[in-house]
Amino acid sequence: MIELQQVSKLFPNDETGQVVQALQDIDLSIGENEFVCLLGPSGCGKSTLLNLVAGFERPTSGRVIFDGEHVRQPGPDRGVVFQEPTLFPWLTVEQNVAFGLRNLQVEASERKRIVSHFISLVGLDSFARARPHQLSGGMKQRVALARVLALDPGALLMDEPFGALDAQTRDRLQDELLRVWEIHRKTVLFVTHNVEEAVYLADRVTVLAPAPDSITADVPISIPRPRDRFSPEVREATIALLRVLANLPCCVLPSQAERPGQTVSLPGG
Amino acid sequence: MSTSPGKADFSLPPAGAAAAPVLRAARQRQSLSGALIAVASVAIPLAIWWGVAVLVTHMRGVPFPTPLDTYRRLVALLQGKLLVDFTIYRHLGDSLRRWAIGFSLAVGLGIVSGLLFGWSRLLERLSMPAVTVLQLIPGLAWIPVGILLFGISERTTVFMIAATALAPIVINTTAGVKGVSELLLRAAKMMGADGRTLFLRVLLPGSLPHLLSGIRVGFANGWRVLVAGEMVVGTATGLGYSMIQARWNLDYAGAFVCIAIICIIGLIVERGLLLPLERRTIDRWGLARTT
Ligand SMILES: Nc1ncnc2c1ncn2[C@@H]1O[C@H](COP(=O)(O)OP(=O)(O)O)[C@@H](O)[C@H]1O
Ligand SMILES: [Mg+2]
Repeated sequence: MIELQQVSKLFPNDETGQVVQALQDIDLSIGENEFVCLLGPSGCGKSTLLNLVAGFERPTSGRVIFDGEHVRQPGPDRGVVFQEPTLFPWLTVEQNVAFGLRNLQVEASERKRIVSHFISLVGLDSFARARPHQLSGGMKQRVALARVLALDPGALLMDEPFGALDAQTRDRLQDELLRVWEIHRKTVLFVTHNVEEAVYLADRVTVLAPAPDSITADVPISIPRPRDRFSPEVREATIALLRVLANLPCCVLPSQAERPGQTVSLPGG
Repeated sequence: MSTSPGKADFSLPPAGAAAAPVLRAARQRQSLSGALIAVASVAIPLAIWWGVAVLVTHMRGVPFPTPLDTYRRLVALLQGKLLVDFTIYRHLGDSLRRWAIGFSLAVGLGIVSGLLFGWSRLLERLSMPAVTVLQLIPGLAWIPVGILLFGISERTTVFMIAATALAPIVINTTAGVKGVSELLLRAAKMMGADGRTLFLRVLLPGSLPHLLSGIRVGFANGWRVLVAGEMVVGTATGLGYSMIQARWNLDYAGAFVCIAIICIIGLIVERGLLLPLERRTIDRWGLARTT
């Protein structure tokens, strides 16, 4: 479904003349309807990788393939949920969710049906007419999810979508995401620097280290769904993943690892 | 595992029902002093005008119209007395028409070029120096240009209005478009927006608060130059034209009526229409007020 072959990305800086190597020789393959979490410390190139798949950026070398075709530009077959809320402030919740459907020229009555379906799916019926600034951070991310789900994309690309939320809201949104994902199965590429989040959500966790180290571990999480975030299995898998991280060569190692009962994050955001 | 959505995340901030009476009283007190200040802000200038009128009339022996003289003349004109061969309604209508045409041209041209300049860095770099210079040119400097282009005609007045209103609209729209977040553009593209949609449904609404303040400044510029345009170009009707002509008939009160009407209309459009529109847009979108 999503395939990266020997992908490198350089960012030349026009002013200093220096070049930042964000990604080097990445190979990654994500299967249909697979839920993959991309884990790594801040600045290691997670967003860059996701932006390449989304089509916001082009690789310096290598190939990015989605659904058998080269990625050339962004499109509604790859729904992106950003870390910051990027709803249109001048549109209501309803209109925000309808935005993409209008571009796809979905006929009005059908559009209305789809919009209201996805607004109820994320539990925001009573806020259909509200504007983004009247919503909490968690509600905004729900709308951001609804507006891409409404386009029925082949893949969901999520760049630390819950990173800016408080812990409780984040837990609840993780549950919501999994519930919605059970109904509308998609391929998901979910970027995070939170180890517990990755274990709770993913079928597979891929660990990215700063270039030139690239993908340093690929850990399947085979806990059956639905999962219980407080279950021993989830806890064990988290610890196992932390062990893997601890044995990696470089800076992916989280300094505050294995403090029981606390949210474990890689440094930074 | 499918949790029902919790309450805390879903409730809008409560209106603070318990504190309502206290707040209302405080608000009433505030609105009362607000009204007093508003009255004073009109009364004090009027009093000064009156004082000057009386003083000048005594010391120089010329009939400087007092507010009362002006008011009486206004009533007479409103009842149909002629001012420089035409009714005040004709003058007002013609001025408004010229202004509307010139201003519409400036708004249309300004928005289109602002959108383009904000979108293309190259176009912006090519054009902004010229626009900045345009903004610095005083309205009266357009008179020779207008006369050369259009002769002594109403079109020169319209041209002057458009020329002076244009620059702030272009500059503000450009800034507005450039201020639209790259993430919003990415989100729109990700949802399948084509170029037209990006312009009309993202860049245009995204720059609306800036655009509206550009329109407000452009309005003021155009409205001011309207008077000058009519004075010089000799359009035979209009508030500016009759203001100048009235003094040949020693109808100073008539001239003052024109000035008053120009001020009042300007005030109504700017404070009553454009500024509230701008504020409402900003509030509705939940944007921080910058002014
Ligand atoms: N548009 C850009 N221009 C220049 N450098 C960039 C750009 N985007 C990312 N980078 C650099 O690439 C590296 C990876 O960034 P990013 O993908 O945002 O990391 P992450 O999402 O893992 O925190 C960083 O060093 C960052 O400074
Ligand atoms: Mg990032």
